[in-house]
Amino acid sequence: MLWFEREVVAALVGSDDPGVRSSVEAFVDGSLRDKPEHLRLGLAGESMLLGGYAAALRALGRLDGDDALVARLHSWETGPIGVVRQYVRAMKSLVIFAENELAGSRAA
Amino acid sequence: MGTLDTEILVIGSGAGGGITAARLADAGRRVTVVEEGPWVDADAHEPFSLEEMVTKYRHHGASLALGNPNIAYAEGRCVGGSTEVNSGLYHRLPDSLAADWEARYAIDGFTPEELGRYADRVERDLGVSTLPGAPPPSSAMLERGATKLGWRNVEFARVFRYDAAGRGTKQTMSRTMLPRALGAGATIVADCRVQRLLRQGDRVVGVRARRRHPGGAVERLVIRADHVFVCAGAVETPALLQRSGIRRNAGNGLKMHPTVKIAARFPHPIDHGDVPMHRVTEFAPSLTIGGSASRRGHIAMALADTGLPFDDALADWQNISVYYAAIRSDGSGRVLAIPGLASPVVTYKLTDGDLSRLARGIVHLGELLLAAGATELHPSILGGPVVRRADELGAWWDALTRSRANVMTVHLTSTVRMGEDRHRTGADSFGRVWDHRNLRVNDASLLPDAPGVNPQAAIMAIAARNCDQFLAS
Repeated sequence: MLWFEREVVAALVGSDDPGVRSSVEAFVDGSLRDKPEHLRLGLAGESMLLGGYAAALRALGRLDGDDALVARLHSWETGPIGVVRQYVRAMKSLVIFAENELAGSRAA
Repeated sequence: MGTLDTEILVIGSGAGGGITAARLADAGRRVTVVEEGPWVDADAHEPFSLEEMVTKYRHHGASLALGNPNIAYAEGRCVGGSTEVNSGLYHRLPDSLAADWEARYAIDGFTPEELGRYADRVERDLGVSTLPGAPPPSSAMLERGATKLGWRNVEFARVFRYDAAGRGTKQTMSRTMLPRALGAGATIVADCRVQRLLRQGDRVVGVRARRRHPGGAVERLVIRADHVFVCAGAVETPALLQRSGIRRNAGNGLKMHPTVKIAARFPHPIDHGDVPMHRVTEFAPSLTIGGSASRRGHIAMALADTGLPFDDALADWQNISVYYAAIRSDGSGRVLAIPGLASPVVTYKLTDGDLSRLARGIVHLGELLLAAGATELHPSILGGPVVRRADELGAWWDALTRSRANVMTVHLTSTVRMGEDRHRTGADSFGRVWDHRNLRVNDASLLPDAPGVNPQAAIMAIAARNCDQFLAS
């Protein structure tokens, strides 16, 4: 996973349990590795661009902490640029599925 | 580099490959099956779980057909293929569709009677049945909603056998046809990806493959064969043909059942261990309504599709189940193998008519779920809105646009169509690839169109029919 992808996953995981957090990260990492090359390349490119943009915002003091990143992701998800919407949706789906499946397994 | 020799090589072990291997091995032929994915014990993981996604699905279950909108799809990649991961629903190809395809694609001997005979045999071999008792609540909701609205609905049969206590076991290929093939002398090589076919003139003399061993070592293999059946599914089959230099009508004309979903909240608990068996057929074959896998992870993903806050609903996930509306599509797509890339690029173009049908589908599904007693509906539309009353459903007509629709599918077909019309097909009436004497396709790729119902019954019957024709020839 690229550094920004790791940041996105860390921001989106709701649980504070380190075991859950690392399991979710491992699942997302495996899923990204397993993607078709052209899709992985597209996601990686977007991660670089959006990560650069996020770093610039952070340097300007306009993106502080996980909550701010989650809010930024939400604005991208509902924004006008299709590929950015798809990027957020792809990352979010992986995190949400993994975290809830893990929560379900632990509850059982 | 290792070498293997066989009389018949079957590439892929799903609905098409499993049937092919068993029938040819039963006939005394020397059969080798190669499967790209691993051999996973059918009972090793809970159905539709995270672990199953990791071990049995291609791309962790997150593949994508590019288009506007993109369409997510999932397919199995393990011994037994998608039969290991699907819901087991079984629906014979409708007679009207068989007759239509026979006429439109000039398919020899593709009559409802002939297909019916093969379907009878497949059903006897596998075990196809309905539930021995009452349906679970998730399925009963479909029946209840449809009955209230006066819509036709039916409990679909599944490829399941039930014991005296009513416990069902899905009759996947790894539990049925593949053990049968092994018993008749076949060999199955798992974790073995075929890279290309080796051709000499109008014959295929074998394949080049890479086999992963348990320690991670990769062995290069050449497998020589007198006859090759490619049964790798509607995406990988045309990709393999293209990688091997066979491009004529291979990969174009991809068809699917585009699907939209609703996470429906009820005032009572719903089961989550199985997929609902009821289907609403009032609008079939252009539109079918049914239920999806609804583990906690699926429910959370479906709730998240709106992009709206969903913590309150998720806290009540035990009362939520996911349902779908699937359409027959006017659109089509392509599978394109790119040199140097292991995975093909898949594209699909939804038509405006398709979008309109999807909108109609999600509104009808909403009507049905409210009639069944649902109190809150979360559609797979970015921005929603979440609906609680029937008079609010109209908002979805305008909301389901190309940029806001979340569309997915699990049925992909038609990338190497069969028939005698050489301009429109990649294989003859029995799956023999044009201009190749000993190369056949025998999987979902052959279906001339998406059938509007779960395609595995049609795939199995056609595969059995093509095997008999091969043996007779």
